[in-house]
Amino acid sequence: MTNTTVAAPFFARGSLVEGNDTVQKSRDLNVQFATPALNLDSLIHPRSEPPPLLNVSTAEIIEFLVEGGKWIADSGNPHMSACFERMAATHILPRSVIEAVSQHAVLYLNKEILQRELEQSFPDPQALDRWVPRTDFTGKTSFIRAFGPRLIHILPGNSPGVAIKSIAQGALVKAVNLFKMSSADPFTMVALLQSFADIDPQHPLVKSMSAVYWRGGDDTTERSLFRPQYFDKLVAWGGGEAINNLVKYVGPGFQLVSFDPKSSISMLGREVFESEDSLLAAAQSACNDIMMLNQEACAASRFQFIEGNKEQVDRFSELLQQLIAARAEASGDFRPIEAGMRDEIEALMLMDDDYTVYGDLDGKGIVIHSDEPVDFHPINKTANVVRVESLDDAVQYVNVATQTVGFYPDTRIADYRDRLASAGAQRVTRLGEAGGSTIGNPWDGMYPLHRFVQWVTHEDGFTQTQ
Amino acid sequence: MDFVKRLTSLVQDPTRYDLAHTAIAEVQLRAIDERFQHNKSRIKLLAKRADDAGIEQINSFEEAARILFPHTAYKSYPESFLLGSKWEKLSRWLATVGADTIPDLDYADIHDVDDWVAQLEARGVYVSCSSGTTGKSAMLIANAEDMNWCRVEAVAAYSWGSGIVPAKDRRMMGLAPVASVARNRVTGESYIEALQDPTTEPFTYPVPPITVGSLTKMVVLRKKIAEGSATPNELADFERTSAERQASLAKAAEIAVQEMIDSRHQKLHVTGMWASLYDIAKRVRDAGFSASDFNPENSIYVGGGLKGAALPENYREFVYETFNIAPERNYQNYSMQELQSGMPRCQKGMRYHLPPWVVPLILDKSGDNLLTGQSGEYEGRAAFFDLSLNGRWGGVISGDKVAIDFRPCACGAKSPSIRDNIARFSDIEGDDKIGCAGTVDAYVRGIND
Repeated sequence: MTNTTVAAPFFARGSLVEGNDTVQKSRDLNVQFATPALNLDSLIHPRSEPPPLLNVSTAEIIEFLVEGGKWIADSGNPHMSACFERMAATHILPRSVIEAVSQHAVLYLNKEILQRELEQSFPDPQALDRWVPRTDFTGKTSFIRAFGPRLIHILPGNSPGVAIKSIAQGALVKAVNLFKMSSADPFTMVALLQSFADIDPQHPLVKSMSAVYWRGGDDTTERSLFRPQYFDKLVAWGGGEAINNLVKYVGPGFQLVSFDPKSSISMLGREVFESEDSLLAAAQSACNDIMMLNQEACAASRFQFIEGNKEQVDRFSELLQQLIAARAEASGDFRPIEAGMRDEIEALMLMDDDYTVYGDLDGKGIVIHSDEPVDFHPINKTANVVRVESLDDAVQYVNVATQTVGFYPDTRIADYRDRLASAGAQRVTRLGEAGGSTIGNPWDGMYPLHRFVQWVTHEDGFTQTQ
Repeated sequence: MDFVKRLTSLVQDPTRYDLAHTAIAEVQLRAIDERFQHNKSRIKLLAKRADDAGIEQINSFEEAARILFPHTAYKSYPESFLLGSKWEKLSRWLATVGADTIPDLDYADIHDVDDWVAQLEARGVYVSCSSGTTGKSAMLIANAEDMNWCRVEAVAAYSWGSGIVPAKDRRMMGLAPVASVARNRVTGESYIEALQDPTTEPFTYPVPPITVGSLTKMVVLRKKIAEGSATPNELADFERTSAERQASLAKAAEIAVQEMIDSRHQKLHVTGMWASLYDIAKRVRDAGFSASDFNPENSIYVGGGLKGAALPENYREFVYETFNIAPERNYQNYSMQELQSGMPRCQKGMRYHLPPWVVPLILDKSGDNLLTGQSGEYEGRAAFFDLSLNGRWGGVISGDKVAIDFRPCACGAKSPSIRDNIARFSDIEGDDKIGCAGTVDAYVRGIND
């Protein structure tokens, strides 16, 4: 526990704002950070002026994003190294993991990827750049524009990668963007925007971005800012209290695009036990999915449903625990298990007829083998291997909060995907590949870029009638 | 249990709140070790904790502090046991936190958790349940000896704290619903025995009994909604039942108001929770009655804190003034579900006093370390060892932030005492965490609670 106060400057439509006016507290860790006073007016782009990026072509935006990406990844970038330094003091994940995630996230700022993202999201991406003509079957003509929206992004605190993606997506749709940072990471977004400003401080992309922190739920700020006169959409991550707070501001002209809180699972068929090799491969893949972002990510697997007899599943669980512990050790990330979960696991350890626990309560990786899922949310290198007679029996545990379902072997996916989707799941992958998505694929049941823009039409009448 | 007995036998001794910590610390430590030696092979969770901590004998308060149970230990049962009616498994869980062997039950006859509780009770095992509207309920196990203790200790502490010698000369007015669990029933009976005027009837708040089953019903329904197995009709039924319950609560309040007005000339002992007491006091005032209409010797005992109720700042004074309760007949007591003994508040110093069988083990905020070498009054996380407990482990860590002082109190009593400004750590520190990872709990909209 440290009590140092680190500076967390703001970024307001192209300008860095420094100051130590307010001392804030970070989530999870007992760390403080100091921010400048919040000037709400400086965050508003007046409706009398079109968004700065409106007449910058998407090709040019992509070029600028790619250039920015190179500078962000550059080890000589002072903003990023200072940011990692501060993050190490406030984030629950170790510095090495944060850096690796950021490096990985920067790969998104790639010309091919960004182009595909647009092509997948819009029937005609040209609509972002100009008024695109269309004629219906009666001969009536019009022009359509995917107009740059005014967005408030409520950023999550668990993954530094979301910041990069949010900048890129906000820029691609030519939005005016206000990023509300999380107390777990009040640094990354500003460092990224500073990096873009290094390249061209006057660039419309830089001018259309702001990043600030206020304590989520602060009525004075949110009641003043969350209005359709200033913004079109609230792009929010998270659930529970956080989202309940935001929902009350949603109304005509002020919509919610929500990235819901999710958890993910794995499904393993009895094929796992066909050979030693398949057992090892399956356990390794399961471990990969569990240990995504050291199990802080929404795509990280929490429950592993597996077909097999008790002895087989015991072997799998034991092996899985060893792999998780090895991964944890390599990442150097040891955090004590949170007390509530600790008590529950301890109780399960004492009921050893029904539950077998591998590993210890030391935060270094633990696997619980049971016949039904545990009550708590496995986190911090904790896996719950649930033995089922058939994966059919596991479908009942898929619900509206289920994001990714990883399968072993992948040949069984086709039998299950309709039922999984019907139950609420959004994404089925091969086991071990929960981390990667096909470029431009939908997310959270939608194509986000498509949802962000304001669709505007110019009706042109029957101009070609004879 | 020689050392334990030396302390618990003082339950009605007039000097029991007048013993300085230094004078009894050694006996307390030995008594904790007696309890430890007796229970370490009986309470599975204790055995595990002691084993993990490498403790075979308790030679210091630091060691005692390392094997306290968090209050969450009594909530560690899998909810699926309740939802799936797995009573045998629930019994097995109960055995991990209880000191006595769980008797064989007639499982074929158990249809709900109340049946389970009733069968256990018939065999000498008492399960109390805390109310959690959204979270899990704690299930606290106790035995017959514990019930006997509560019967004696509660009234004795009341008598010391309020200065009232029980004389069977009051009418007991229960102005709030009370959970119908063993411990509450036993203490309720002993209060009636001690205070109730035999020529009148005690007034019990007229609502259906709040059983363990009704307390856990909400939790079970919440889980069903999350799973997706609750149907809309089931929820509509529940909403209707809740509305009816609300209506019956409102009716009960009306009846209670009338009862208070009708018995205003009798000498009353009022009990309840702040929210309902304030509500009833307000209605009594609205009906045109106040202090001068009530008996000046009335007394009051209020259990628990505000429990989230939003009341005007002067709610306490408002209640006292309405029912004409003089400050010296206002009994306050600090305790918690996980303990069974109380810490009555004194009249002069307005502090909660620890009897010799409740050992203070005040920890740092994290709950990991015993605060040692402090002088004067100091703050920390409340933790205690209640040496009177038989059926479960007496060492408990709470969620309360308290200020304790080992010096004699202004009232003259020499026992350690706690300032009357107890707060919950969870109320002091909020959080605004957001992440993409989350559970289905975020998808369960509040059911009428």
